[in-house]
Amino acid sequence: MNTHLSHDELVLAYYDEPGLGTRREHLAACAECRAELARLALVLDQVTPIDAPEPDDGYEARVWDRVSWRLRGERKRVASTLSPTLTRWIAIAAMVVIAFTGGLLMNRRNNQPVQIANVQQPSKIVEAAAASTQQQRDRILLVVVSDHFDESERMLLEITNLTPKDGVDVSTEQKRAEELLVSNRLYRRTALDRGEDRVATLLDELEPVLMQIAHGPTQMTPEELRRVQKRVETKELVFKLRVLRADVRATSAPHLQEPNI
Amino acid sequence: MEATDNDLVERVRAGDDDAFRLLVERHSRSIYRSAYRITGNAADADDVVQETFLRSYRAMGSFDARASFTTWLHRIAINCSLDLIDSRKRREHRFNDVQDLSVLASTDASPDRLALGSEMQTAIAAAMAQLTGNERTAFVLRHFEGMPLEEIGQILGTRLNATKNTVFRAVRKLRQQLQPFTGSLI
Repeated sequence: MNTHLSHDELVLAYYDEPGLGTRREHLAACAECRAELARLALVLDQVTPIDAPEPDDGYEARVWDRVSWRLRGERKRVASTLSPTLTRWIAIAAMVVIAFTGGLLMNRRNNQPVQIANVQQPSKIVEAAAASTQQQRDRILLVVVSDHFDESERMLLEITNLTPKDGVDVSTEQKRAEELLVSNRLYRRTALDRGEDRVATLLDELEPVLMQIAHGPTQMTPEELRRVQKRVETKELVFKLRVLRADVRATSAPHLQEPNI
Repeated sequence: MEATDNDLVERVRAGDDDAFRLLVERHSRSIYRSAYRITGNAADADDVVQETFLRSYRAMGSFDARASFTTWLHRIAINCSLDLIDSRKRREHRFNDVQDLSVLASTDASPDRLALGSEMQTAIAAAMAQLTGNERTAFVLRHFEGMPLEEIGQILGTRLNATKNTVFRAVRKLRQQLQPFTGSLI
């Protein structure tokens, strides 16, 4: 082909891109095309790489602050979207476990006092069995809540024992607070349903503190840490948890230790 | 020994946020530079950096561990830059601050550049600003980054011929805008 190189072919030649084939031979031999390529190069050579202004020393840390902040926000949104469904399933599962365990215990009880049952009114047997099942469920709930109080107390103690200084890493406590928050909501609702007012009230007081820790920064400033510590101390949460946990254990433990109730 | 990018990716996949922090700290500067070349200003480049890491975090599960994390991340950054330019165009907020875009031209004091002076630099910035998002990105990747056209096509999601045409159009537009300034050099 003897026609001169087109603009596009000259661009390919300038960037040394493949695809020109024999047109390169023409370019090598044609003074007019070489001159045109030189004119193109004159323009493109002026467009030199753009020098981005160098960010300052703290740039990486700032990027991470913003990225992690946005990620936390996204996670919260996801959690709040999932929580009603998730919590419902957890509640259903918990109720199934409680009912199943209660049923087992009641079965044991019904198998044992056969002679007594023979002399009692059938309706009274049903009432007694129902009451007993209810008690079993309540006791199981109290045992579970007691463990929850124990976990919460330890986590809050760790927070209150931290020394306020720059960039205190509370990531471990934060993870535990996130987990505790999910179960706290479930137990509070169940406790309210069961009329366990003292338990429900304490769980209610605990929830915002757990939320503050779970949704707060992973690295706390001294001021942020002091704020959380003050909240825990003002509400006397550690003390209240300890007292109620002891009460709950006293109420539930002896009964559960009985082999046939 | 310092953990490799792929080691950190594995840790991120396992839920280790600290590993993600290390990746952010390791790559944010180079992503910023790439984004700046495409978007043309510091504020947009900053936005691209953030968006790139957020998208990469969400897509971490799809990252092929045999590939280069840096290349993967830069591809995300280029796409973020393109999206940003496109959304701006949709809002009809074009680059009209030539003063800000004048930084697009290098301040290297080559003799030719000195001869042309700031007028040429402003003209380059203005000419670059006239390109569409795709043209600008394709041109930046080919001209500044030296990326082969085929690879640019993969990033832009276009076939080789379409990618070539995008670069050709960009060069034609730049040439048209800048020819009057380079005439004196011939």
